[in-house]
Amino acid sequence: MAVAVHEKKQVLDMAALRKDFPILERPMNGRPMVFLDSAASSQKPISVLQTLDHYYRHTHANVHRGVYQLSQEATDAFEAARRTIARFIHAPTDKEVLFVRGTTEGINLVASSYGRSFLQPGDEILISTMEHHSNIVPWQMIAEQMGARIKVWPITPAGELIWEAADELMGPKVKIVAITHISNALGTINPVKDIIELAHSRGIPVLLDGAQAIPHLKVDVQALDVDFYTFSGHKMFGPTGIGILYGKEKWLDQMPPYHGGGEMIERVTFEKTTYNELPHKFEAGTPDISGAVGLAAAVDYMESIGHEAIGQHEHALLEYATEQLLGIDGLRIIGTAAQKASVISFMVEGLHPYDIGALLDKMGIAVRTGHHCTQPLMDWYGIPGTVRASFAFYNSFEDVERLVEGVKRAVQMLA
Amino acid sequence: MSEKLKQLYQELILQHHRHPVHFEKREDAGAVIEAYNPICGDRFQLYLDMADEKIARISFYGYGCAISKAATSVLVSQMDGQGVIQAAQTIERFLHALQSTEENPILENELAAFLPARQFPERMQCVTLSWEALKTFLAGY
Ligand SMILES: Cc1ncc(COP(=O)(O)O)c(C=O)c1O
Repeated sequence: MAVAVHEKKQVLDMAALRKDFPILERPMNGRPMVFLDSAASSQKPISVLQTLDHYYRHTHANVHRGVYQLSQEATDAFEAARRTIARFIHAPTDKEVLFVRGTTEGINLVASSYGRSFLQPGDEILISTMEHHSNIVPWQMIAEQMGARIKVWPITPAGELIWEAADELMGPKVKIVAITHISNALGTINPVKDIIELAHSRGIPVLLDGAQAIPHLKVDVQALDVDFYTFSGHKMFGPTGIGILYGKEKWLDQMPPYHGGGEMIERVTFEKTTYNELPHKFEAGTPDISGAVGLAAAVDYMESIGHEAIGQHEHALLEYATEQLLGIDGLRIIGTAAQKASVISFMVEGLHPYDIGALLDKMGIAVRTGHHCTQPLMDWYGIPGTVRASFAFYNSFEDVERLVEGVKRAVQMLA
Repeated sequence: MSEKLKQLYQELILQHHRHPVHFEKREDAGAVIEAYNPICGDRFQLYLDMADEKIARISFYGYGCAISKAATSVLVSQMDGQGVIQAAQTIERFLHALQSTEENPILENELAAFLPARQFPERMQCVTLSWEALKTFLAGY
């Protein structure tokens, strides 16, 4: 049967765009590199690299401390970055935008700080089957400490939350819902607006793990009416070591600080300390100033391309790759939700993900293999792991073709 | 594909991967050893019957990459019927050769097939997983 080839619709000027990412030009194992692991960490455009370089050459000093000009300039750059990010996610005020190390720290902060204030013995925390370990373990830790319990929202074999279960799951004991916006292992885009609406109708706040959503979608925290939203800079073309936790002021005000130290205090005596106001209450110690400035540059870069173009290009890649991969005998895609981001997890009958990944690597193609920090999800599917190809806007249709060709060769060799 | 990689995935290894030796679960085995690598999820069970200071019978079952499955298959084929001391020595010799930089350490062909893994440090655990597990078991026997 003839397979209709999906139209390779070109919405971006790939040649120009790929020049912005110098690393994509390096060879890998004797071939031009095909980088298909942006879901783990994305590559950085020149503008981000230049911003970091410029910051350290011209602007660096500690922030919020010095009376001298340079410290003031560094503080201005740091706070301007916060405003850029607040605008990017449409936060009502930059007080609600906290700099953290990444998604993992954002979730730990909320679990620990919200958990200590609001959880009672017998209370419940609702997560889902498809969570990353970083949206499981922090909740288990605080649940154990406070005598609370984790409840898990089940999924369908396609990798979608079972919506019919929601009503019963969000019972009176649930004190927070913590769900991923997009699954890193399956690509599923969850119906987060509906989840938030339902939770709010019962007075339950919602945390969204935005690690995989922020590189792909326009996120508007006010339109979502989300209580906490967290993401990592390094997955959205910014530096490692920096991330964001957005939190509604009404919650953050009621939560105790997470770390203690400098910057987060108003007045310290040996008897008692009073805390600084938001956002500084949650930013103890010298922050990752260059990271913040670099993250703002990444925001500028993404906006210069535009969410609409990013979405269209990635969707075309996803459809093309899905169709081409399914043409390979014995290949099965794990995660077939109706709403998906450009992430494809797959297995090939009789072959181990590791072997496929190792062979692809030697053909210059970087994919992720294994459980993708979602062991409970893999257990649920009864598989040890998958091969995962994830696409960013800098990936091309040729990248997809190299992947498909590579998988075919690996299968030939191993089967 | 690189020559190095072709050596790692050489025919002898692929043969063991496709047609592993004594690949069977046994409910009635005298001892069951688990070889598990939490990093990649590979997991094998080794089923043993010990008699007269010997490995009277050995088989395995489980899931892993081609390299770890082949290495377990070769382990099982080498160990079948061996005395405990002799078995421990073979394991030691194999693990030692994998650590050494010697170009051609003296090894049985089936074992020497895994030497190219020395060029792939990240795959070394695949080779040694079941060997280390059996070594621990024999040391406590
Ligand atoms: C869905 C999801 N949540 C959380 C994380 C953790 O992000 P980080 O390691 O940047 O803190 C990741 C990254 O792997 C992820 O994909």
